[in-house]
Amino acid sequence: MSSFALVGNPNTGKTSLFNTLTTSYEYVGNWAGVTVEKKIGDLKNGGGQLVDLPGIYSLHPLSRDESVAAQYLMEETPSALINIVDASQLERNLTLSIQLLEYGRPIILGLNMMDVAANRGIHVDIHRLQEQLGVPIIPLVARTGKGSSKVLSTLKEIPAAASPELKLDYGAAEAAITDIESLLATTSCLPNHRWVALQLLAQNPVILQALSSKIDMNLVNDISKNCEEQLQQMGLPSSLPDWIRSVRTEFIEKLCSSAMDRSSQKPHNLTERLDNILTHRYFGIPIFLIFMFLLFKVTFDWIGNPLSDVLDGFISGPVSDGINKALDLVGASSFTHALIVDGIVAGVGGVLVFIPQIFILFLIISFIEDSGYMARVSLLMDSLMEAVGLNGKAFIPFIIGFGCNVPAVMSARSIEQPKDRLLTTLLIPLMSCSARLPVYALFAGVFFQSHQALVVLSMYVLGIAMALLLCKVFSSYLLKNESSVFIVELPPYRLPQGRTLMRGTWEKGKGFLRKAGTLILGGSVLIWLLSYSGPGGFGVEMNNSFLAKIGGLMAPLLAPLGFGTWQSGSSLLTGFLAKEIVVSTMNIIYHVPNMEGLQGQIAHSFTSLQAFSFMAFVLLYTPCLATVGVIRKETSSWRWTIFSIGYAVVLAYLISLIIYQGGHLLGLS
Amino acid sequence: MNQPTQLLNLKPGTAGSIYAIKEMNPILRQRLYDLGVHEGSTVFMKQRGPFGGPITLECNGQLFGIRLKEAKEIEVSIC
Repeated sequence: MSSFALVGNPNTGKTSLFNTLTTSYEYVGNWAGVTVEKKIGDLKNGGGQLVDLPGIYSLHPLSRDESVAAQYLMEETPSALINIVDASQLERNLTLSIQLLEYGRPIILGLNMMDVAANRGIHVDIHRLQEQLGVPIIPLVARTGKGSSKVLSTLKEIPAAASPELKLDYGAAEAAITDIESLLATTSCLPNHRWVALQLLAQNPVILQALSSKIDMNLVNDISKNCEEQLQQMGLPSSLPDWIRSVRTEFIEKLCSSAMDRSSQKPHNLTERLDNILTHRYFGIPIFLIFMFLLFKVTFDWIGNPLSDVLDGFISGPVSDGINKALDLVGASSFTHALIVDGIVAGVGGVLVFIPQIFILFLIISFIEDSGYMARVSLLMDSLMEAVGLNGKAFIPFIIGFGCNVPAVMSARSIEQPKDRLLTTLLIPLMSCSARLPVYALFAGVFFQSHQALVVLSMYVLGIAMALLLCKVFSSYLLKNESSVFIVELPPYRLPQGRTLMRGTWEKGKGFLRKAGTLILGGSVLIWLLSYSGPGGFGVEMNNSFLAKIGGLMAPLLAPLGFGTWQSGSSLLTGFLAKEIVVSTMNIIYHVPNMEGLQGQIAHSFTSLQAFSFMAFVLLYTPCLATVGVIRKETSSWRWTIFSIGYAVVLAYLISLIIYQGGHLLGLS
Repeated sequence: MNQPTQLLNLKPGTAGSIYAIKEMNPILRQRLYDLGVHEGSTVFMKQRGPFGGPITLECNGQLFGIRLKEAKEIEVSIC
């Protein structure tokens, strides 16, 4: 089967095109580094597979997501490449194109963002470009899907197409290229030898690594050194990578001056005007904080909670009644009846009522991702992050973490320095994800009715404050080495399309629904069984159940924090599976038909100080199972994975202790 | 040609042609190169950063931010 690969600079619309060309859907956004691993989908016309690769500026990778692309080209033999090129940034994009043309596989150039280029008064002469590069060029607007059918039809013909014949003259380096090519002659399974030779001479670490066991690197070094001496004698740039780069740059400059007209180019008017406000020296940060506050106002007070109440009424009313009637009708045993009503409906239904809040949060996060504001936040936050030993880019995973920690850990791949990446990964679990939201909504709804958004916001702020504090500690004592670097590309702002927002929200929300149907459902059944059975058999009084016994072991430990009951203990234990399960467990334990009933029960069992302490504990105490899994995968280290759990538990205990005991001293009980 | 001066001396809205990039972390240097920022390219100063934070620059229509500390290492001749 044919397989094609999408390659191009970051944030040029590769994934948008991937989504229109294939039957699958992947995550899109408006900043550099959205796609961090290769994604595979089936072409809509059945013509083969399409691989979406993380964005790269050159084949020389700086971050982990970028090495994915270079490695792919080295190890696989795609039938053809689709190189997405941003028409409004032609020079920069062509630097990569040249290296892809040298790669020697058939290639199509997708000239994307034709609309953006046209709006900015940049005119690209497609015919001339096509003539000089010798490969098919297709104008595209990937966001709207314009031009994608042309790509599909061109891909069909591609297997018969000839390889590109572009061959730059590297002058003084040509002899070295020929020498390396002859070294490679006997090695099998390699891409185009001239391409490999050039990448070796340019010191591409991925290629060096891949060949280190196949050819004698000392010979390569000798060839490089000889060539560099020659360059020096000729008064040219004395390092080979620099020389190779300058040859390419010169070629591109010539090409662009003949194929592109920027005489009527306009500046990014809208973007600059927005940036004057949103990244203002003094107002930028306050504006960001106001946005965050509004986010919580909308998610909770204004829209989320009213909708959630309606949903609760529906689940505890018609749905429960229906289930009860149906169970009576089929003559279910009292065990089945209790399992379904007290276990599943209470446990799963109790979490599902928070769908409105969770989806609104996802919608707002999708908006931030798609508008271009994300990169600005990293700019605004850099000073603060630098002060604690990280860089502003780490704030992007943090914001994604407000939705879900799992993709957030993945997105840390685009951070260049390994130390910064590890630090970010370890701190992401402190970002309060949507799974913790039901817990806050439940408790804040009971104890802090008039200040719900503020109290919930305080949890998020606590998470961020702890992340910054620990970042300082970790970077000073654990991971000290080179200072962090920071550079961020600021894409033009754009108004997110309704379709993209809906899709983005749904893709994120789907995960929550899936979890409700699997982990939360399973957890609820398990918890109910543990609450229904005890050493004395089935149908025991809940206080004598296994659940009470297990939770009771935890209770004395939790007592200093203000919630030393077996109910809290078992909720927290089961909450490790997924933090929503804390709410499921409480629903089952206090088995009540609806949210109001549960709130009443909780008002009896907690004081507001205890509730606040409990919320803080749930925020901090451990990454959930799925996050632990992805931390293990990304750090490839059990030591760091266990560390991420360990520090979180200790931190949660300390903070809750301070909140509860401190509150007591202040007379707040 | 004008005397080379620090990039930071550019007023917002004005441009300079890069004369030299001095001490620079290799990762950052490579990334700047990727964005088309190297000796000879023209950069526009867009905005000073928040509270001594990163400055916003533009090169070839691409906006990007770098820290003051590193911007100090870039010398330009004012266009």
